[in-house]
Amino acid sequence: MSRSVLITGLGFITSIGNDASSVSASLRAGRHGMAVHPLCDNPRVPVTVTAPVREFLVESPSWRDWTWPARYDLPRETLRSLAPHGVYAFCAIEQALADAGLTKADLVNGETGLFCASAGSAFMLHHNLAQAHANNFERGNPMGVVSSIAGTLNFNFAAHYGITGAVAGFVSACASSSHAIGYAIDEIRLGRQRRMIVVGAEDLNADTLLPFAPMRALSVNADPASASRPFDTARDGFVGTGGAVVLIIEDAALARERGATAYAELVGWGQASDGHSVATSHPEGAGLREAMRRALRDAGVEPAQIDYVNAHATSTPVGDRAEALALRTVFADAGARPAISSTKGLTGHGLSMAGAMEAGFCALALREGFIPGNAHLVNADPTCEGLNLPRDTVSARPSFVLNNSSGFGGSNVCHVLRQIDSAGLTTTA
Amino acid sequence: MAENSTPSPASKPGPKPSNPLAKFPSNVRSAHERFLTTGDVDALDTVVLAVVRDYQPAQLRGDPAVVLPDSARMIDDLGFDSLALAEIVFFFEDLYRVSITNEELMRISSVGELRVFIRSKVDSAKSS
Repeated sequence: MSRSVLITGLGFITSIGNDASSVSASLRAGRHGMAVHPLCDNPRVPVTVTAPVREFLVESPSWRDWTWPARYDLPRETLRSLAPHGVYAFCAIEQALADAGLTKADLVNGETGLFCASAGSAFMLHHNLAQAHANNFERGNPMGVVSSIAGTLNFNFAAHYGITGAVAGFVSACASSSHAIGYAIDEIRLGRQRRMIVVGAEDLNADTLLPFAPMRALSVNADPASASRPFDTARDGFVGTGGAVVLIIEDAALARERGATAYAELVGWGQASDGHSVATSHPEGAGLREAMRRALRDAGVEPAQIDYVNAHATSTPVGDRAEALALRTVFADAGARPAISSTKGLTGHGLSMAGAMEAGFCALALREGFIPGNAHLVNADPTCEGLNLPRDTVSARPSFVLNNSSGFGGSNVCHVLRQIDSAGLTTTA
Repeated sequence: MAENSTPSPASKPGPKPSNPLAKFPSNVRSAHERFLTTGDVDALDTVVLAVVRDYQPAQLRGDPAVVLPDSARMIDDLGFDSLALAEIVFFFEDLYRVSITNEELMRISSVGELRVFIRSKVDSAKSS
């Protein structure tokens, strides 16, 4: 376990910005990405506020109709087997590689791996199946499977970038990309890979998001300025978002050799399951509590050393309550009072992408020296008593940060990140 | 809730894709229209060659001004793989409402064979 793991590149296609600097500006200014943006033309669908990605048009099931920012050179041979979130992911990968000072040629020697997370594209699957059924499965899009099933990101980008190292996809719903980061840390610690590309991405369309409505998990609040309000007493569900976030993580020795500038160090991670319910959190957040403790133990960090927690809190009544109780047990009961916020108040909930997106936000906070506040939080839920929930951005540079994620089945994953000084060395021993 | 539920129009999977030739050059689109209205098979050839160009892997794509010779082999010369061939066939099935079997697909190896095959296929679909 002597190898340390650094984040050396980030790429963002999100509801609050399509590059690191605009994302950082939105986080600091508390600028949210929500809009009145219904996902189908049926006025009886109760969900009208979502957090769309700007600059992309990917509403058609045919890639020939799609558009994306002209600054990305997305070749036809790759485009034809992508889902909408694959287009986001391609752009975020290109950004992250450029940010890390890498080119395609650096990725092909077997020392770079690729871990991805998305739910696949229910939208593409729905369309392709309808078409194939209508034609007795005699006719259909030959790329229908690889563009739509879970794993589409790793299939496509391993081929596109010629990656010969470890390639896999992770499926644990809203903890998926956090699992991808955790296992990517292990690949490097174990010396199996020197560099990992981690991708989290999701479509935002009716087929991906609206099935959460009958579960009563989505906000039906029609006001974009308050629909997503994690930890607030008036919260009524999450607001959906799509996009893609990419992290380049490297063995610190490799990063030093090539003179890369790091955002932060990934010092540990942990996971634990609730073993309780298929779809809702344990009422006291038992699995999340244990996952936080395991991550802290893996990192060798005490609760009092954590300056900021990026909470999973999605703005659902049950989930936020469970996380608040788990946070109280791990931190307040240990006499620790880190700043805690859920950036989903700004971005909405990106499902499989959430963990990577928020790890990216933590990396920005650590490098640039700020702590995002709790957007739209007015009256904190009584279960949050004793927790430090800043409303606005705090201008302070955290030393250690904890990033929480929870998914269906009570799957909980946490990462600990550490600040790095401008010379690329870790400041705290 | 059942008493309140009327059949919803929203069971379709999403927006319909636009005309598959929408982003092709205007001469290709007008050739397509000409074939549909007049049955001019030379116009059909223009569409077929443009679609082959469109699906050909970029790293092997030559000068687009050069007309692809009938003798060019889809796999060996133009760099197609079996999936890309299947995609082309699906494109024509969709565009001209014809059905192409696996056996027919396997027999196509050159641009000329594809051109002739599409002509005969579309022709027999019209007359049937």
